[in-house]
Amino acid sequence: MTSEQPISTDIVLEARGVAKTFGKTRALVDAQLELRAGEVHGLLGANGAGKSTLSRVITCHIRRDAGEITYRGASFDAGSTRDALRAGIALVAQETSLAPDMSVLENIFLPELGRAGRLSYGSLRRRASDILGRLGHEHALPLDLEVRRLSAAQRQLVEIAKALALDANLLIFDEPTASLSPSEVERLFDIMARLRNDGRALVFVSHRLEEVFAITDRVTIMREGRTVASALPTSSLTQSDIIRHMVGQDIGSVYARADRQGVSSDAPVVFEVSHLSAPPAVRDISFSVRQGEILGLGGLVGAGRSEAAEAIFGLRPRAKGTIKVDGREISPQKPADAVRAGIGLVAEDRRVQSIVPDLTVRENLLLAHIGQHKGFGLGYAARNARMKHLIQSLDLPADRLDANLLTFSGGMQQKVVIARWLLLEPKILILDEPTKGVDIGTRASIYAILREIAAGGVAVVVISSDFEELLGLSDRIVVVSDGLSIADLPASVLDEEKLTLLAAPRTSTARNTDFLKQLTHDYGGAGVWALLEQDEVICLGAVQAKDALETGLQPGKASAIGATRIPVALQQRAPHFVTEEAGDRATLLLPMRSRRGNDLGWIGLTLPTSADLPPPELIAARVAALHAAD
Amino acid sequence: MSTNALSARSIMNGLTRRLEIRMLGLALVIAISLSLLSPYFLTANNIFNILDQSVVVGIVAVGMTLVILTGGIDLSVGSVAGMTGIVLGLALQQMPIPLAILCAVLTGAGVGLVSGILTAYFGLAAFVVTLGVMAIARSLAYIFSGQTAISNIPEAMSNIVYTDVFGIPSNVLFLVGLYAVAWAYLTYTKGGRTIYAIGSNKEAARAAGLNVLFYSVLPYILSGALAAVAVTFSISQLLSADPLMGNQMELDAIAAVVIGGASLFGGRGTIIGTLIGVLIMVMIRNGLNLLGVSPFWQGSAIGSIIILALLVERLINWRSGR
Repeated sequence: MTSEQPISTDIVLEARGVAKTFGKTRALVDAQLELRAGEVHGLLGANGAGKSTLSRVITCHIRRDAGEITYRGASFDAGSTRDALRAGIALVAQETSLAPDMSVLENIFLPELGRAGRLSYGSLRRRASDILGRLGHEHALPLDLEVRRLSAAQRQLVEIAKALALDANLLIFDEPTASLSPSEVERLFDIMARLRNDGRALVFVSHRLEEVFAITDRVTIMREGRTVASALPTSSLTQSDIIRHMVGQDIGSVYARADRQGVSSDAPVVFEVSHLSAPPAVRDISFSVRQGEILGLGGLVGAGRSEAAEAIFGLRPRAKGTIKVDGREISPQKPADAVRAGIGLVAEDRRVQSIVPDLTVRENLLLAHIGQHKGFGLGYAARNARMKHLIQSLDLPADRLDANLLTFSGGMQQKVVIARWLLLEPKILILDEPTKGVDIGTRASIYAILREIAAGGVAVVVISSDFEELLGLSDRIVVVSDGLSIADLPASVLDEEKLTLLAAPRTSTARNTDFLKQLTHDYGGAGVWALLEQDEVICLGAVQAKDALETGLQPGKASAIGATRIPVALQQRAPHFVTEEAGDRATLLLPMRSRRGNDLGWIGLTLPTSADLPPPELIAARVAALHAAD
Repeated sequence: MSTNALSARSIMNGLTRRLEIRMLGLALVIAISLSLLSPYFLTANNIFNILDQSVVVGIVAVGMTLVILTGGIDLSVGSVAGMTGIVLGLALQQMPIPLAILCAVLTGAGVGLVSGILTAYFGLAAFVVTLGVMAIARSLAYIFSGQTAISNIPEAMSNIVYTDVFGIPSNVLFLVGLYAVAWAYLTYTKGGRTIYAIGSNKEAARAAGLNVLFYSVLPYILSGALAAVAVTFSISQLLSADPLMGNQMELDAIAAVVIGGASLFGGRGTIIGTLIGVLIMVMIRNGLNLLGVSPFWQGSAIGSIIILALLVERLINWRSGR
């Protein structure tokens, strides 16, 4: 899927030796980047490698401490983002910089609102539809709609249009796919390809390798603030090459789950959440965690996982649902109630939700203790022993406990926040994106800590959008999509691809479910949409006509093929109806692919053998047509 | 050595090095220049004068420090002082002195409770709430008093101020004691640290299970109560309760807290800093009086010093890259 046309050799931007220090953190040490016109350039690296910092230096959101940047052959030293924009450099940020209460049109031309003179809305409107037309989305976006009503993907489109309104010829996409569904990602790549073919230079910041291979022409890889591989053609690399550059070692060791045997099924259920709803983000989420188990809550950003955690923890009002700790129902109205019940929450946004900047590291560590302490004084002494132990086992800097927490690296900050809860010896620890902004070395030690506390009998819930992390860390994964928990599967039956499919927003899977409904409406019987493994099947959706025969498949559940009612068909996967041994039912299984050839699972139709079996080719054509237009 | 002592020392280290030491330096510079300009400035008599003049604003500034540490502000303290002064004056006609004082203090606390709940529970802006309370309290002061000063205050009230303990006037002793208690509370207790945590990052404080509501309201209650205590000292000196008492006292208190290094965004500042701030304000006023500078110029002088102090602080912070 790499370039269909040769990359030109015009260098648009060249950065050399860029350095940037924040307080004591050296975000960039020696960063390099070379961009050519008409390419999509992948900027890769683990969390904290400096990708975003480098992007922001180029777009002048951040001033560099050192280093040379040449842009279109001249030294580039713009003072502000406005200057950078005027020069044609734009950032399409993860968290968009749009004004939510203004219309799409006003947002696209926001930079022009600051210009002197009169604005003609008529001509702006024409230019906007012209730009959206060039992106292939002329009618997809009502220009008068307020931006806050848009989906994440639509907002991104507005951001891109805004950049094009300024005629940007260098666009930096900072993790643009983080909150997009698979079909939205494909649409975005389509737009990116158009921009590339226009001769613009695009930077694609990501850590999702499959996407890097799908869209980029060349890649630059960063590690710990340095460029470790500069402008290599993507086609010359393999996934493991990239990982080696990103990590500096083989990643296999990071999760170190070798000697890990799952939690026994008779371990007591410590924590049980059923039918939790906290509108609008959380609609119906259920899960349970056994003692010593690590449960992953997977899904896309915005699926409602963080909101569910906050609702459980009393940070957000709940509409419905029960929460049980050790079988006893609790109803926390504020975090203090949840903490008293033995729950700890390491929230997603460390800076906003966890760190108290004017208190020392020590006091930050003891903050949750202060909340639970009954006396009038501080009562720190009672926690001394445990604190010493934690400082040692988490490798916290015992000699810098009186410093300001913000001067520490993201990883160290996160360890302090985790230690804050461990100090209280919770029964349940919920961690929301625990390794966000954490360097790779500290990530491994955070994983080790979570393992250890789970082994010590704590029920651990990890929320993560990083599927690799989720798979590496969890015993079991509950997938959340659009505020619903839609699958509860052992991590061992899943991989990143399956998680991606499971986590897709319901709006993008609705088409498949509707298709199953049509099939069963037209032919009767039972329709399933499933992922097939060697001897396992994961059901993504199931629809049954009246009186249809059982397939033995339930949505969101994995089953052994032998345990279903259609084992022969599931094994053979033949392009025709396969009759089961009992002779009563026949099943047609057809693979489903996206236009780009991605595996979307299998569509199955089970009919009684007594019925008139429709021609398989007809159904195959309908399955093929389903995603042809994406 | 216990963790308490260690952390207390660390807090002292961390904060004093940056703020109070500098402000103490400023206070000394002002004191030395004034003593060079006026031979009377450094006399024992005048020093007691300065301390005596520090009592009323000093007491109010303690409450203001607590409120500002949570990230709030209390504009109503001056009016609450005026209103509770009238309450005290009226109560003194009916009941013994201690009960009358208690009445006034409870009234002040009650007004603070209302402001606190409106800001902390209902989430209204502290600035606006206390601005409203300021107007209401002042108007009630006029209504309760019938627009005139209450002058038949029992003579015994003056004992509150004019009793010396170990040769130190009781009101000065009270001020010192109040600052010691407030300092210990903010440094060594759960409540004190919670107040800092709320001002520094309310969301994190809540998520850590701290009792944010209670410790957000408490400073307003204390601020109201301390306004009543402050006006009690005024009345016992003047033996008269005027509805205009405490006029613009909130400005002096806020200025003292800010000169003392507290951040109006909350979370940063110390009680020692506030004390230094109070002394700086009072010294300037006292010194200008000694030098015979027109009272009309005093506002300009104090205003300039506040702004200069903050500007220097900001420049130093810029230098150190914050």
